[in-house]
Amino acid sequence: MNARSNGIVPAPIAELPWKLMLLLFCLAGFGAVVLYSAAGGSLLPWAAPHLLRFTVALGLAIGISRFSPDFWKKMTFPIYGAVLAMLILVELLGQIGGGSQRWLNLGVITLQPSELMKPTIVLTVALFFDRLPASKLHTFDAIWPPLVLMGFPSALVLLQPDLGTTITIVAGGVVVAFMAGLPMRLFVGAGAALAVLAPLAFFFGLQPYQQRRVTTFMDPSADPLGAGYHVNQSAIAIGSGGLWGKGFLDGTQSHLNYLPEGHTDFVFATMAEEWGLVGGIAILIGFALLFSWGFRVALRSNTRYGKLVAAGLTTTIFFYVSINLMMVMGLAPVVGIPLPFLSHGGSSMLTIMICIGLIMSIDRKPGRRGGAFSS
Amino acid sequence: MNTIAAMPGRRPITAYSGSVGTATYQRLMILALIFVAAVLLIILRLTSFALFEEQKSFRSLSTTYVPERGDIVDRRGVPLARTIAAYAIWMKPDDIRGDRKQLAADLERIFPDEPAGVFYAKLTAGKPTYLRRRALPREVSEVHALGEIGIEFPREPERLYPEYDLAAHVIGFTDMGGTGRMGMERVLESRLTDPAKRAQPVALSIDSRVQGALRNELSKAMASTHAIGAAGVVLDANTGEIVALSSLPSFNPNKLDAEGVRNQANGVTQSVYELGSTFKPITVAAALDAGTVRDLSRRYDATAPLKIAGFRIHDDHPMGRWINVPEALVNSSNIVTARIADDLGQERMEKMLRTLRFDQRPEIEIAEKGLPIWPRDWGRLTTMTVGYGHGIAVTPLHLATAYAALVNGGIYRPSTLLKVQPDQAPAGRRVFSAATSARMRQLLRMIVLDGTGRNADAEGYRIGGKTGSAEKPSAGGYSKSSLVSTFAAAFPMDNPKYVVVVTLDEPQGTAATSFQRTAGWVAAPIVKRLVPRIGPMLGVLPDTRRDVDVSELMPLLWRSGGGH
Repeated sequence: MNARSNGIVPAPIAELPWKLMLLLFCLAGFGAVVLYSAAGGSLLPWAAPHLLRFTVALGLAIGISRFSPDFWKKMTFPIYGAVLAMLILVELLGQIGGGSQRWLNLGVITLQPSELMKPTIVLTVALFFDRLPASKLHTFDAIWPPLVLMGFPSALVLLQPDLGTTITIVAGGVVVAFMAGLPMRLFVGAGAALAVLAPLAFFFGLQPYQQRRVTTFMDPSADPLGAGYHVNQSAIAIGSGGLWGKGFLDGTQSHLNYLPEGHTDFVFATMAEEWGLVGGIAILIGFALLFSWGFRVALRSNTRYGKLVAAGLTTTIFFYVSINLMMVMGLAPVVGIPLPFLSHGGSSMLTIMICIGLIMSIDRKPGRRGGAFSS
Repeated sequence: MNTIAAMPGRRPITAYSGSVGTATYQRLMILALIFVAAVLLIILRLTSFALFEEQKSFRSLSTTYVPERGDIVDRRGVPLARTIAAYAIWMKPDDIRGDRKQLAADLERIFPDEPAGVFYAKLTAGKPTYLRRRALPREVSEVHALGEIGIEFPREPERLYPEYDLAAHVIGFTDMGGTGRMGMERVLESRLTDPAKRAQPVALSIDSRVQGALRNELSKAMASTHAIGAAGVVLDANTGEIVALSSLPSFNPNKLDAEGVRNQANGVTQSVYELGSTFKPITVAAALDAGTVRDLSRRYDATAPLKIAGFRIHDDHPMGRWINVPEALVNSSNIVTARIADDLGQERMEKMLRTLRFDQRPEIEIAEKGLPIWPRDWGRLTTMTVGYGHGIAVTPLHLATAYAALVNGGIYRPSTLLKVQPDQAPAGRRVFSAATSARMRQLLRMIVLDGTGRNADAEGYRIGGKTGSAEKPSAGGYSKSSLVSTFAAAFPMDNPKYVVVVTLDEPQGTAATSFQRTAGWVAAPIVKRLVPRIGPMLGVLPDTRRDVDVSELMPLLWRSGGGH
């Protein structure tokens, strides 16, 4: 696919997907600029670590892409088992330590297994459907194993309790199942059932604080100082940016701390206040290019596993972006999902770059044409 | 590798066989459509935000802070009433985690003025309540440090009067619910709470510097004469604006106690007094206007008390001779003023006083207005006693507006507590002719130059005015011992700008006043000390080379003419 090495640049470097990397650099660089402003015009505490993390995570992604899809295929179930074990370990540590815990301290780094589960579930469900003979696609055998595969990690994450991550994990698995070609009526039926069950779950399944988040999403101004505060302040910040923004370092909502979480979940509002509608559209174009790259990789891939993984991981990234933006704009409840490449935070950066590394791996080795049942 | 290159040639299309591949392609497209729809939705929402939410933005702190209730400022912008966000301490009993007894003891340590038992009762009562209605930031941080999650610190709007009791009767106060209950707070209720207007402060006509000087002089005079009350007003003679209005004793609107409630009566607009001799210039002006006095040198009989209808009108300082009009004013002769009023007649006398609105509550915004006591049966004797200010009771503000009309060229204007823009002064209506007004300026100046108002003559300020000492009515008649001493003045008399009326309620003769308690001794000196303080603030500078020309009238005074 890539241009041949012209002799000066070594082949492994020339073969890197430079266009994609330029796009990622632009997004993360813009993120650093916004974080620089959010800190009041300072590289610390957010902008510099953000760039450093991005660089390290990009290196990791390139490393992942060096291994072939076949390798990841072999590793899928071991990885699934390992991450599931980590989730259980976190739950046990939390039980012992008292209170909820999401982190696993490995000394050098702290790991959040629920984050790792997001790409892992995509790989796992994709592998299952890759192995499933086409003739069994319309039988019950195609339905219960993915439900079990998704059920264990979802239950563990829901115990933490982390509703946002649970939804992302389930959604990743469901999208792969959808892509694999499960009958459409299953998804329509599940959607209808959800519409009936959601109100019941709301009243009987959710904690009061979670219920408040949902009601607030319906009408943020009802409780402007409580649960609606984030969304109201965020709407004001975005609105006050107008078409062209107030200018770099000139945002008041974020600098005067009206806007909470202005460097993490609500970083988009911080950006929109200073860069306006133009900045927002630029970011959306950036993400749109990223998604279309992911889809093109899925289309180009000649293996079933490759198609499912590329589309599933692209959807995982898409979930981050769309849920975050909808939340910031009051179109979705506040669930605490960061915006990829812009929000400050290591765990989500790691997850996103693992996803990108895996898609890059499929991009490098799309498989033989017509090799549907190869390997 | 060869196989890979060769493959496409042999098997041209189809990824992997059958419906599965096609289905995957379809599903991928459906997913892509959902992606596009979501991105479009986000762009739509973003655009609507950018276009329509702009007006709600916080541009900067100073211009966007809109108080719950608008500020009240004086005519120069000095804040008189503001709203701040104060702390309250609120307790939710269901969320209390700590030991309540210990908590009550800790609270008593922080608020020593409230016993632990009271706190304990609130903590165990079982319903949410205020532990303290107001607390200082230091106290809030100490309570916060107790670490009790059942205790919250809501910010509540609190009305603050930074000048304390300086202009309490003008501004009034708000109740605990933040509603204006008195003074301009009550008058401006809807204006101050209107979300569209409350960002803009309301400017009163009061000048806090003049107000401070007036209050200071009144309280000094009150202390030195042991009076039970004092009231004073400084009025712009040409616009009707009240530049200062003070009533003593006063109250602190920030913290109203029982004593403060007793002192709420407004001595300038609410209390009615028989203001006595200060009425005489009004009677003379009415007679000049009506033409019943054509010649100021005409003499009236003042040799003996005037007997009428079994009542004797006598002078405090009997002249024992026939005197002319200027002499009657300068020496404050009741007998001659009564004769002038008698010549004027009941109808014209009554009409003049009604024109000056002495039969109605004073014209001013605030609600604390007193109704004058108007004579019930108006006979010949009434005309004569009203002529020198007895038998009728009005507020000092009535007198001030009447004096403004006397000296400003004859125009009556309602008084106001709101700042009037320079070109927006009300047209008013004519009550005296310009010629009468010019005469009255001369006569009032002569009273201060060479009469009972001598103690008010501050050098260079060209003050003119009239004293008035009336006995207070008490059960069964007039009380000889309790006086109301008033001085009504205007300055500078060559071009009158301001009217000053000061009143002392029951002054006692003390060493400071040569054991006198009449207005010439107790009220006139207040004006003499006050005008040099406020004149320069109001743009009136002392000038000994200018004055109203009284040379044609001075020879009419016995001493000036026949003396030396």
